[in-house]
Amino acid sequence: MLFWVIAALLTLGASLAVLLPLAGRSAVRAADGAHDLEVYRDQLAELDRDAGRGLIQPAEAGEARAEIARRILKAGKAAAAGSVGLGGGSTRALGVAAVLAVPLVSWGIYTAIGSPDLPSQPLAARLEKNPADATVDELVARAEAHLAANPQDGRGWDVLAPIYARLGRFDEAVTAYSNAIRLDGASAGRESGLGEALAGVAGGMVTAEAQAAFSRALQLEPGQPKARFFLASALAQEGKVAEALEAWQAMMITLPPDSPWRGAVAQAVQEANSRLAAAGNEAPPGPTQQEIDAVASMSAEDRTAMIEQMVAGLDERLRENPRDLEGWQRLVRSYHVLGRGDEARDALKRGTAALGQDSAEGRQLAEFSTSLGLTAAE
Amino acid sequence: MVEIGHFALVLAFALALVQSVVPLVGARTSNSRMMAVAEPVSMAGFGLVLLAFAVLTVSYAQSDFSVANVWENSHSLKPFIYKITGTWGNHEGSMLLWVLILTFFGALVALFGGNLPATLRATVISVQGWIGAAFLLFILATSNPFARLTPAPIEGRDLNPILQDIGLAIHPPLLYLGYVGFSVCFSFAVAALIDGRIDASWARWVRPWTLAAWSFLTGGIAMGSYWAYYELGWGGFWFWDPVENASFMPWLAGTALLHSAIVMEKRSALKIWTLLLAILTFSLSLLGTFLVRSGVLTSVHAFATDPSRGVFILCILTVFIGGSLALFALRAPSLTAGGLFQPISREGALVLNNLFLTTATATVLVGTLYPLVVEALTGDKISVGAPFFNLTFGPLMIPLLVLVPFGPLLAWKRGDVLAAAQRLMTAFAGTLLAVLATMLFIDGATVLAALGIGLATWLVLGALTDLALKAGFGSASPGTMLRRLTGLPLSMFGTALAHLGLGLTTLGLVGVLSFESEHILTMKPGETTEISGYVLRFDEIAPVQGPNFTESRAKFSLLDAAGKPYGEIVSSKRFYPVRQMPTTEAGIKTMGLSQLYVSLGDETADGSLVVRIWWKPLVTLIWGGTLAMMAGGAVSLFDRRLRVGAPARRRREAIEPAAAS
Repeated sequence: MLFWVIAALLTLGASLAVLLPLAGRSAVRAADGAHDLEVYRDQLAELDRDAGRGLIQPAEAGEARAEIARRILKAGKAAAAGSVGLGGGSTRALGVAAVLAVPLVSWGIYTAIGSPDLPSQPLAARLEKNPADATVDELVARAEAHLAANPQDGRGWDVLAPIYARLGRFDEAVTAYSNAIRLDGASAGRESGLGEALAGVAGGMVTAEAQAAFSRALQLEPGQPKARFFLASALAQEGKVAEALEAWQAMMITLPPDSPWRGAVAQAVQEANSRLAAAGNEAPPGPTQQEIDAVASMSAEDRTAMIEQMVAGLDERLRENPRDLEGWQRLVRSYHVLGRGDEARDALKRGTAALGQDSAEGRQLAEFSTSLGLTAAE
Repeated sequence: MVEIGHFALVLAFALALVQSVVPLVGARTSNSRMMAVAEPVSMAGFGLVLLAFAVLTVSYAQSDFSVANVWENSHSLKPFIYKITGTWGNHEGSMLLWVLILTFFGALVALFGGNLPATLRATVISVQGWIGAAFLLFILATSNPFARLTPAPIEGRDLNPILQDIGLAIHPPLLYLGYVGFSVCFSFAVAALIDGRIDASWARWVRPWTLAAWSFLTGGIAMGSYWAYYELGWGGFWFWDPVENASFMPWLAGTALLHSAIVMEKRSALKIWTLLLAILTFSLSLLGTFLVRSGVLTSVHAFATDPSRGVFILCILTVFIGGSLALFALRAPSLTAGGLFQPISREGALVLNNLFLTTATATVLVGTLYPLVVEALTGDKISVGAPFFNLTFGPLMIPLLVLVPFGPLLAWKRGDVLAAAQRLMTAFAGTLLAVLATMLFIDGATVLAALGIGLATWLVLGALTDLALKAGFGSASPGTMLRRLTGLPLSMFGTALAHLGLGLTTLGLVGVLSFESEHILTMKPGETTEISGYVLRFDEIAPVQGPNFTESRAKFSLLDAAGKPYGEIVSSKRFYPVRQMPTTEAGIKTMGLSQLYVSLGDETADGSLVVRIWWKPLVTLIWGGTLAMMAGGAVSLFDRRLRVGAPARRRREAIEPAAAS
């Protein structure tokens, strides 16, 4: 509103600048020749001064004086003959057009190219307004301004880092996480965030550097879902799809029902399955997407029951078709994770017997079990 | 309030249209009411453009990134002074500054034009209105600085780091004051052609405008040269770069105009030629604007290239240059010629000056446009560099410089060369001494350098001789001399100062070109090197965090031959992360008139640093001389002649005749 008022006032002022002289009385002005006479008189005076300084010889000064005198005569005649113009009346139309042109042209063009509704947005004011109204960009800028002033504020970096990652500004996320770790110490969340940001910088590749960060996170908090998920992704990226799949499936089993990671893991499992299928290997029969979705929507008892059922199904399959290292590994781990240690050891024994104690596969199963903290001896 | 600025700009365009038509029609039909529209409209137009410019500046100061122009060229972390100067450190903003200065000059003509004949004043202001309307339309149509962004980004893209320098605060405004100042001379010339007659007060008005524009242009070019010298890190001050030439051509033509306007003012001679020069000078200013703004040339000045802008400016260029020259061809034959003079006379000397200067302008024009024409016709990229200009421009300038001291000593209408030469004997003797001294004491092998020094001495002594003779040196008592000296018109001091400055600049050029020494070496902290009698010690290099850059700052100690500390030099390399651009900040130590220039190169693997060191003898005189030229222009401006010509003021002057001289 204020804008329109000011714009109207400006237009009014500009129109008056055109209108007033046109509406005013004709000024009586000197004929142009009169101005010339003044200049010629001054030239004469200057000529005398120059002659006095010897800048012009007396003879030439005389000639010059005659030249100027001739011009004065001519100008005097012109002044006498010339009319002091007071103006004709036929130009009224042009005057009206000129006065009208000011508002018409300016408002016409401005409506076409202006943005009258857009207020000024000085940066300081944008950063000071209520955070609830601010966009993410503005909040980030505000935090950046704060951190530029207080670079030792670890908490600030901690808050900003995941936002950077969310916005896809991974370079800055890496810096922010590193600063947070440097200032406030390592935590599983910061280390895994750093790993995620490093992976983001590398275009999604979980690099050795990122893996190191995730491993540190797992040391600080075993079972941390983000670290486990990305480490599994690293396996998949290295071509060890089966191992990755196993890790994800294990996550599926152990993740709490309300974990936000379930969706991502489920998708990863499905992709891994289809990758294995595409590679020509028969996919190790794991839970299908429908089954996983079903799991996600079940109650806790139902889910336990379903898992029990799946494990039992696996157990049954391995009795019929025992030469399946991966199957035995899954079975051992399933029992182990479900906390049924005896059955896990039993499965290990059966698997070892089926694969052969001294065969490569048998040894592999033993190693795998050892890594879970199981030995056949117990 | 951004939109207020936008609206003010549009309104200024509407007023410029009225200004282009109404006063002109009034002048042609002797309608004094319509002529009277000129003054308020041109002042209101200036006020509106000023408002628009102020709004844009505030948007920059407040980092309002909802303005696209601010977002493209600013950054919230930029130091405040560069936020302000950034307003014109880009295409749109610089065009707005151009128009601001144009309307400013238009308003000045309206404000101080009381002693001009009314028709001339109305026509001049109308012609200013044409230029203003054309450029305002250009801004609104192709380069609107008030284009908005929504939603507004939260951070800008920063200004080109090379432009983040105090030079940006000085160089463009001065240069534009010069370029655009010539628009007034142009308007006067076109007005005279439209009128079909040249009033006697015409030259009285054109000369001060030429002087003012020329002084500003001189300062703008000198500042640009010094800026390039310390910022680009090569230690060069003039590259015959097309963009530099674009500003140099109007300067050369303007210098010619300045001199021919004297003849016209004093003797009413050379009228038609002066008109033509006024048109040519502003045409060259327009050409410069076109070359720099259209993106035809790539350089630090071509902020953004957009073909539509180039075509638009080309149209403006064609209409104004073609139109004014056509008008000239049509009307010039009917203009009456003025006073007579002999070939050997002050007038003749000034004509000679004009011949040399316009030929030099043509040379630079050819050297600048030839590569563009070749590229347009054949697609080949060729460059016409320093060798071409040294071979053509140099030989033209040397005889001109030799002749400069003669000019002010020749009498009007008919002069005596022999008498003038006799009076210059002292200056000539001094010149010979300077040449001999250079050959004996500095370097006997460089005859050319010694002659160059001699030429500079000749100019300086010639300027001083002029003043001494006019004061009556040798023929009057000291008291009389002082009285005569203080009684001289200011314009004579202006002439002497400007010619003196020319000599000083020549001395600086010869000094650097002939006696400069350059050392390139790798240094480690603690190492020393010797240069021109001084010892330079590399103390340390350390990283420094700037507001919007990081910098490697190297400290050097300067010791004199005896090993005593003489001073410190800090030279650094900066990196601006937003634009991902490095810059060099040369370390410069001024000693007397000479400078030691230290610039950093790359760091080598073993931790040592490539350091380039130049010893630049007398280099400061290059710019010091231009300051003297500017001062000469300013002194001349205060000469009383500007105030003559108004019939109403006749009586007041009669009361105080003593003030006249």
